[in-house]
Amino acid sequence: MSMDNTTAHVRIDGVVKRFGGTEAVAGVSLDIGRGSLTTVLGPSGCGKTTLLRLIAGFVEPDAGDILIDGVSQRGLPPYLRKTSTVFQEYALFPHMTVFDNVAYGLRLRGLSRTALTEKVRHTLSLMQLEGLEARYPRELSGGQQQRVALARSLIVEPEVLLMDEPLSNLDAKLRVSVREEIREIQRRVGITTLYVTHDQEEALAISDTIAVMQGGKVMQVGTPRAIYEQPADPFVAAFVGQVNLLRAKIEGGSLRLGSLLLPLPANTPVLESGEEVILALRPEAIRIGAGSAGSEVQGEVVSRTYLGTTVRYRIAVAGQHLTVDDPDPAGRPLLTGVLTLSFDPSRLHLWPAGSDAPLSHQDSL
Amino acid sequence: MAKATAVQAWSGSSRVRALTRDPLGLLAIVFVVGCLAVFVIFPVVRVLAQPGLTEWWRLFTDPRWLRLGGNTFLIAVLSTASAVALGFLFAYATSRPDVPLRHLFKLVAILPLVSPPFVGGLAFILLFGRRGLVTYSLLGLSGDIYGWHGLWMVQTLAFFPIAYLSLAGVLRRINPTLEYAAQDLGVHGLRLFCTVTLPLATPGLASAALLVGIYALSDFGNPMLVGGAFKVLATETYTQITGWGDIGMAAALSAALLLPSLVLFVLQRYWVEGRSYATITGKGSFADPPPMSPAVRWVVFTACSLVALVLLATYAVVFVGAFARTWGVNWRPTLENFEYTVFRGSQLWNSIRFAGTAALGGSFFAVIAAFLVHRKRFPGRAAVDFAAVLPAALPGTLIGVGYILAFNTPPLALTGTGAIIVAAMLFRTIPVGYQAAVAGLAQIAPSIEEGAADLGARPLRTFWDVTLPLIRSAFTSALIFTFIRSMNTLSAVVFLISPGNVVASASILALAEHGDWGQASAMAASLMSAVFLLLLAFRLITGGRLRLFEL
Repeated sequence: MSMDNTTAHVRIDGVVKRFGGTEAVAGVSLDIGRGSLTTVLGPSGCGKTTLLRLIAGFVEPDAGDILIDGVSQRGLPPYLRKTSTVFQEYALFPHMTVFDNVAYGLRLRGLSRTALTEKVRHTLSLMQLEGLEARYPRELSGGQQQRVALARSLIVEPEVLLMDEPLSNLDAKLRVSVREEIREIQRRVGITTLYVTHDQEEALAISDTIAVMQGGKVMQVGTPRAIYEQPADPFVAAFVGQVNLLRAKIEGGSLRLGSLLLPLPANTPVLESGEEVILALRPEAIRIGAGSAGSEVQGEVVSRTYLGTTVRYRIAVAGQHLTVDDPDPAGRPLLTGVLTLSFDPSRLHLWPAGSDAPLSHQDSL
Repeated sequence: MAKATAVQAWSGSSRVRALTRDPLGLLAIVFVVGCLAVFVIFPVVRVLAQPGLTEWWRLFTDPRWLRLGGNTFLIAVLSTASAVALGFLFAYATSRPDVPLRHLFKLVAILPLVSPPFVGGLAFILLFGRRGLVTYSLLGLSGDIYGWHGLWMVQTLAFFPIAYLSLAGVLRRINPTLEYAAQDLGVHGLRLFCTVTLPLATPGLASAALLVGIYALSDFGNPMLVGGAFKVLATETYTQITGWGDIGMAAALSAALLLPSLVLFVLQRYWVEGRSYATITGKGSFADPPPMSPAVRWVVFTACSLVALVLLATYAVVFVGAFARTWGVNWRPTLENFEYTVFRGSQLWNSIRFAGTAALGGSFFAVIAAFLVHRKRFPGRAAVDFAAVLPAALPGTLIGVGYILAFNTPPLALTGTGAIIVAAMLFRTIPVGYQAAVAGLAQIAPSIEEGAADLGARPLRTFWDVTLPLIRSAFTSALIFTFIRSMNTLSAVVFLISPGNVVASASILALAEHGDWGQASAMAASLMSAVFLLLLAFRLITGGRLRLFEL
């Protein structure tokens, strides 16, 4: 999963940050490719925002180093780093107009008046903010404030753009359109971007690379496809997308799930007979109806939820619950009783149990 | 294990490094810490170190001092109880939209806050003294009415606005929906008041009582004017210095006030404040509270009107007294009283320039101290925070005696200069500005300042471009509060004045002590007018945008 050294623009090398007794960032190493959009994805409190603040220079690491273009950033205050941050709550200067907010970074760099005006106008038009120059932040909509914050950061032409949950203050519909806008601009400008979010859908939609964090550690780094289709552990599988996590046991070359005996998928790691495993299966990998031999199970409907485009069933299989979607329920009555389910064995993942498997997630699915 | 300690050393040194790369910040920290140490902590230490064993022994055994302590305690409890009751009445009345003249009541309750606290004492003498309007001119009585009764009344009127201000804030932040909810459940009237409104305001009441208690304990001007033979610790401190030249005993007496005052202060700040039910939300104003029953409304209205009338009468008396040739004897209007005190004297001008300097310097100092404590990380932050609010707990007499002791000898020989008065005013009122600045800073998300740093602004630039403009309103209100308080302060500066550096408040006391009621009134009227005019001018300059005293 490691990236080619020559293309790493930002290198995070064994960084540790403690607050009091807790390790917010517990030894993180991560390479961020030049011009890429890398997302740090994780639940709240996983240390992702701290990681971003470490790169921006708002906090200093207790151990490890951060290199930009191979240059150590240790001891460099934020105002000397070539990074720029878009804050979760935007942090626009409330006493300055849109123009002055965007121009602030340039003023500090002592640009001439005409060059400054020219550049601000250009950036504002890039962000579709023309006509709002004289407004104050409080007179703007959430989406507009978001764009001003992005404009304010981009105008100083930082080497690295840092975005801390930039969409969390927008309503759900706007979030989708703004994230596409951000991705579009990021591609056009070609700026190396680190994007922090807790929203897995957002991460899947806009990233070149995703780093999934949990408990101050990076659990997996990869493309969105790799993260979703080949999760490294039960946590990643459960956090990114919907998943069924089941307990099972290895029996020779088979998988024992309650009273069921299933053949082991071909791509599984070598496991000893009798070992407990956790098994992950995404709802869309399960079909209601008969399939090929060895990939069928019987189950009884426990509950169902009508969601419009799909019907989501909870089905009891061998004493555990499975979530299964019926993708095209139109015109059919809702199903009850005992069903036959079939699944694609190549999309089944399993890991040895007992580590720190978050089986509690199962009920929240 | 070795690894853990190595890591800790690392993080410790990173904090020190963060400071060294911001030398200006480091310098500011050194400056703030130095000033607070020299002008707040050192004088207190000097006072505590001054009395010898004999003086401490006498303080705790001599019946004379014990009686003084008893007096101080008694009058403080009485005045606090009545001032808090009145304050609650006014706060309750003005929080209800259905009380007539509520805006007038708000205004009246502010008056004692912007005028010298001993004006009430002066008015009391003019009304009930040996040549008093009521006692002598109307009733023909002559006799000594000086004592604890009068002092109680005068202190109640002087200090109820402090309770009012604190309680008005508390009542305003209690969600009226709770009263509607109680009504919805079938409770109303007195039952509702006793089961919902009062319990919700209880932490506020406790806080207000502790706050008023600090003022009442250390009040100096009123006991001086109307206490008569009823002496308290603060007045006796002054007598010991001016009458007997016994600075050791004066220090012991002012130190005796420190402990109770400090206890009240610590309770108020760290215990009661955390227990408030009042909620601060970002939501706009709540709906109006439910209307009161007509009977209650009129009782509340009448009580408030009565207090307002008495209060207005005290001010009217002082203004009339300023223009009367000889109070109680010759009522012909004259400007004579102003001749030597205001027109030819420099006391009023001294007050304005000293208070102005102290307010300006103090507000900047307070803002910088608040910024450093709440935005920078350095060892001893908590101690600086405490030192910055501590003067609120220090009796004025203690500051006065402390400054005499601390700044009498080189390297800081300030006695006899205007600077010592400015310093006393400045550091006495620091908590006002400091707390305003802290509240202002709490409104600014740290990320806004980080945003500036992120775009390339160095720390001073960030402070100047972002922090300062955003706490401007906190700064200006701090400026005004400290100016008003410095103009009116008496207890500390009365120890520090010298020929040529006399301020108006001290001059009023001296004139009243000599029985020059007319001239004392003229000076008091001028002092109040100066404060009102400057307030008005400020309001006009700022376009009335600034909110002061809940108005």
